[in-house]
Amino acid sequence: MIDAAARTAWYVYGVAEDEAAIARLDGVELIRDGRLTAVVREVSLDEYDEAVLPERLNDRDWLERNARAHEDVLQSAAAVTTIVPLRFGAIYRSREQVGQMLDERSDEFLSTLERVRGHVELGVKVWADVQMLERALAAAEEPSAGGAGAAYLQRRRQEQERARELAVLCAQVAEDAHARLSGVASAAVANRPQPRELTGRSEPMLLNGAYLVRDGDDGLRREVERLATEHAARGLEYELTGPWPPHNFAGEPQ
Amino acid sequence: MSVVERRQPLAEQVTLLDLVDRVLNKGVVVTGDITLSVADVDLVYVGLRLLLASAATLEREAAR
Repeated sequence: MIDAAARTAWYVYGVAEDEAAIARLDGVELIRDGRLTAVVREVSLDEYDEAVLPERLNDRDWLERNARAHEDVLQSAAAVTTIVPLRFGAIYRSREQVGQMLDERSDEFLSTLERVRGHVELGVKVWADVQMLERALAAAEEPSAGGAGAAYLQRRRQEQERARELAVLCAQVAEDAHARLSGVASAAVANRPQPRELTGRSEPMLLNGAYLVRDGDDGLRREVERLATEHAARGLEYELTGPWPPHNFAGEPQ
Repeated sequence: MSVVERRQPLAEQVTLLDLVDRVLNKGVVVTGDITLSVADVDLVYVGLRLLLASAATLEREAAR
């Protein structure tokens, strides 16, 4: 049975400080070192061995099941204490090695815990109705004057100009919205907008922001509502997600 | 007003894409005995893209 024992490992979800608070979480174990406690689960290496992981990651059902499990554990922990999320798939062959990792990274974990304590992460996406934006730009243009040839040339010029203006406008919308939302957040990060072929939506995503806000603070939500009201006529849609565990704020300060 | 709000922890409201965006692309990276490297994570995005692309192809073929 030595073989069977060797076929398991410890999957680490996140790191917290308050061991007592997370002691009652279902389905996970805790590994403590100094002031820090890792939230772990014993997993089978049949699922997580290097040899099979790349294949698993391209199995949509497997990926979804395990990504949700990872998020569920972090959310349960975040409901009772501050937790620093680890990236999916951190796996150790022994409990001692998990403890060693906590020891080696303890300064970093403690300062991150301090930074995110009492905070949650909110996500804000901005979607653009490009046709509405184009109409708004076209309405602002001068009607063409002169003969048919001149009118055609002017129209061509205007179309090119409009495409350029549209790109500038989209970038500006994202930048302005992110600046205003950052103003009511403790920390902020603008991530790469999700590509259209993955969102499955015809509208492009202009902003994919994450904001660290005090738990219970309504400021960001209100700012999103204000922005949405101001921008509704231009065909911009705001989507608010969360509260999430502070995935985007677990690394080095940005 | 166009604010769409999706609150957790209603798991089914969290899209797989949002999960991948956070759970696989963010969070502290530690050097485990078995850890996905950053390159692997990019592969996940690529893998997901391929999956979605192949699903779309299958749907188109089924619709014929």
